[in-house]
Amino acid sequence: MSVRSFHSVFMASAVAGAALGCYLVSLRVASERAALEDVEAQIVHTQSDIRLLQTEVGTRARLTQLERWNLRALSLSAPTASQILGDKFQLARLVRPDPKLEVEAPVIMASAPAPQPQQPLAQDDDPDTAPVAQLLHEASYEAPAKAAQETPAPSRQPKANQPKATIAASVAGPRPNPPKQLVTKMASTAKKAGDKLVAMTSSAVTKPARAARIDPLAPLPADHSTGRALRTNR
Amino acid sequence: MNAPTEALVAPRPERLRLVGQRRQILSMMHQRLMLGMLVYAGVVAFIALRIIYLAAFGDHAGGRPGVTALVPDRGDIVDRDGEPLARTIDAWSIGLHPDKVIGDKLQLAHKLAQLMPEHSEADYFNMLRSGKNFFYLRRRAAPELVEAVNSIGEPGISLDREPERLYPQTDLAAHVIGFTNIDGHGASGAELAFDKQLSDPATRGTPVQLSISMTVQQALEHELLDAMNHFSALGAAGVVMDVHTGEILAMTSLPAMNPNAPGKVTPDQMFNRATLGVYELGSTFKPFTLAMAMDAGTVSGAGQMYNCPDALPAYGHLIHDTHPFGRMCSVAEIMMESSNIGMAQIADQVGTERQKAFLKKMGFLDKVEVELPERGRPLTPTTWGPFETMTVGFGQGIAVAPLQLAMGYATLFDGGIYHRPTILKVGPDHPLSKGRRVFTADTSYRMRSLLRLVVMKGTGKNANAPGYRVGGKTGTAQKVINGRYSQTVNITSFAGVFPMDDPRYVVVVMLDAPHATPETYGFTTAGWNVAPVVSKTISRIAPMLGVTPDMHREPDMSEVLPYVREE
Repeated sequence: MSVRSFHSVFMASAVAGAALGCYLVSLRVASERAALEDVEAQIVHTQSDIRLLQTEVGTRARLTQLERWNLRALSLSAPTASQILGDKFQLARLVRPDPKLEVEAPVIMASAPAPQPQQPLAQDDDPDTAPVAQLLHEASYEAPAKAAQETPAPSRQPKANQPKATIAASVAGPRPNPPKQLVTKMASTAKKAGDKLVAMTSSAVTKPARAARIDPLAPLPADHSTGRALRTNR
Repeated sequence: MNAPTEALVAPRPERLRLVGQRRQILSMMHQRLMLGMLVYAGVVAFIALRIIYLAAFGDHAGGRPGVTALVPDRGDIVDRDGEPLARTIDAWSIGLHPDKVIGDKLQLAHKLAQLMPEHSEADYFNMLRSGKNFFYLRRRAAPELVEAVNSIGEPGISLDREPERLYPQTDLAAHVIGFTNIDGHGASGAELAFDKQLSDPATRGTPVQLSISMTVQQALEHELLDAMNHFSALGAAGVVMDVHTGEILAMTSLPAMNPNAPGKVTPDQMFNRATLGVYELGSTFKPFTLAMAMDAGTVSGAGQMYNCPDALPAYGHLIHDTHPFGRMCSVAEIMMESSNIGMAQIADQVGTERQKAFLKKMGFLDKVEVELPERGRPLTPTTWGPFETMTVGFGQGIAVAPLQLAMGYATLFDGGIYHRPTILKVGPDHPLSKGRRVFTADTSYRMRSLLRLVVMKGTGKNANAPGYRVGGKTGTAQKVINGRYSQTVNITSFAGVFPMDDPRYVVVVMLDAPHATPETYGFTTAGWNVAPVVSKTISRIAPMLGVTPDMHREPDMSEVLPYVREE
């Protein structure tokens, strides 16, 4: 009885509650929208700031100004036609290895691990190394055959720079017919210095002085080869 | 007398009468109450519905309408890469309300004169005593100055922000962009041409994109200004144009003007020599005459021979050459050495009517078709007889704007098709204008090697830019001073096209009254003063425009080289 009499009150309060709920949702939506609008306004404000700063930077770094700075200080210029490449093949052509042939260095390096000869070859043109120069002189000294026979070791105590000149003289001109005595002399010295005979005969027929003077295939003493290598590297 | 007396009618009983009246009154009151209630309920319902509507769809009290996007007060103008050329910013302005000043006026005048020395202390004091309402002390003031003025602390000084048109690149492309007047509306150039679009709230959010390329413009302006100063010329003009679309990539007129301070611009600076000025551009016209002759069939090829004596009598006049041949010469040689005598004969064969028709189709007899409001009308001979046909053939007697000349070269080397020149970037918003054919594609192709020959071996050698296959034609015209041709003052021009094996860009430069220098050996002809400008400009802009230099490519020179006698 009592519940039935309050029926309308319940209905009214339920409707009021639902209306309030709807209103709260609407209020929430409105506040969210307001916040969103605030963010949008902030974005626009920031955009305006960015625009202002961009304009300022653009004005300060205007092209006329950059050109002026370039003329006064930087001196940059447009690339010339030869500095612009069309494709990768043109680029590859730029780094093409140098075709110049270097005979000496690789030969010396190759000869480094070769077995040491009994005696160093008299091939060094370095005036600082006296013993080698002496040997060299003994091996290739171009002397009259008679004198060479009489004195088997005439250059035991020569001046250091004397043999060098003689060697050059001996190698410089082609000598189609070496004297017999000299050949025999060379055969005798070949015992001491490996393939010296071959070197001498080849020097006799080969024209260029450098190639003939230094036998590229002959092994060198370790200390000489390192010395030469260092000089080459310098 | 016959009227019934009261005593004769039986009166209604009093009780019954009262009951009837009460009912009537009651029902009326009910009706009125009901009406009032309905009105009240209606008002309440309306208010409730309005509240619900506002809650659901309305804006809140703090809402700012129209802030969802940044719309400037006036639209931006940008170059073809989107770099700003004109913008509206909020600038500071310093104003003075003399009637609101409360401090010592003499002291205030002293401080103002220290901060803004453009007026003297006495001027400021006179302003303060004038009794007027308002003075602008400085518009577009620097922030430091605004801060300093603010620190004076005088309520009579007002510091306001007002929209200001700023051109960040100052005088770069100033004649194309133009400037605005004090009301913020366009006064010249693109600002005037697109004023409606720039100021309409619906469209001003989108910037107007010009076809100008800022870097190309800078290169052209710098090289041209350099030459103008070097040769002490009165003025200069230059145009760089895309052959295929008619887009103007750079256009300048010197002396330059600063659109940020339009009040200080002199009329000479404001004058747009590239579009408004019309000049007799001399021999740069010769390729058109030759192309007309090839199209008309009067010239069959570069090997056709003409008699080129030292002077040619024609219709009562005598035509001279700067480098007379004194023998028979081929068409290739006529072009290479820019022979007036040879070209006059070619023009004579074309004839007046055909020449006029071709010039009309090329747009040389009307104002240049471009969006800018500053456009000059070409000057043509009043009586156009056979002799005038000859002189027009080698570029005398007809005056056109440098932009028109560029347009003519673009037409000639775009396969013979004319597209109207434009300062707007061609793209989806601004499609390519419909072209019309002027010359045949074959003529256009054959002109390539002829113009390349001029730069390789002829008068335009100084215009060569190695690797970029420049072709072109020099033009030296005597300046008309007081109605007579001056014998000493020239207008020199060069129209160049590159790369000539597949033409893409036209460069036209012009110097007004250049002087000779020691390195030009006393000459003031185009080959000495403007041709190097073209060479330097192309060397700078070609890599930017994507033209790859190639030392091994050339147009088909075998068509012309056999007809050139090696001297």
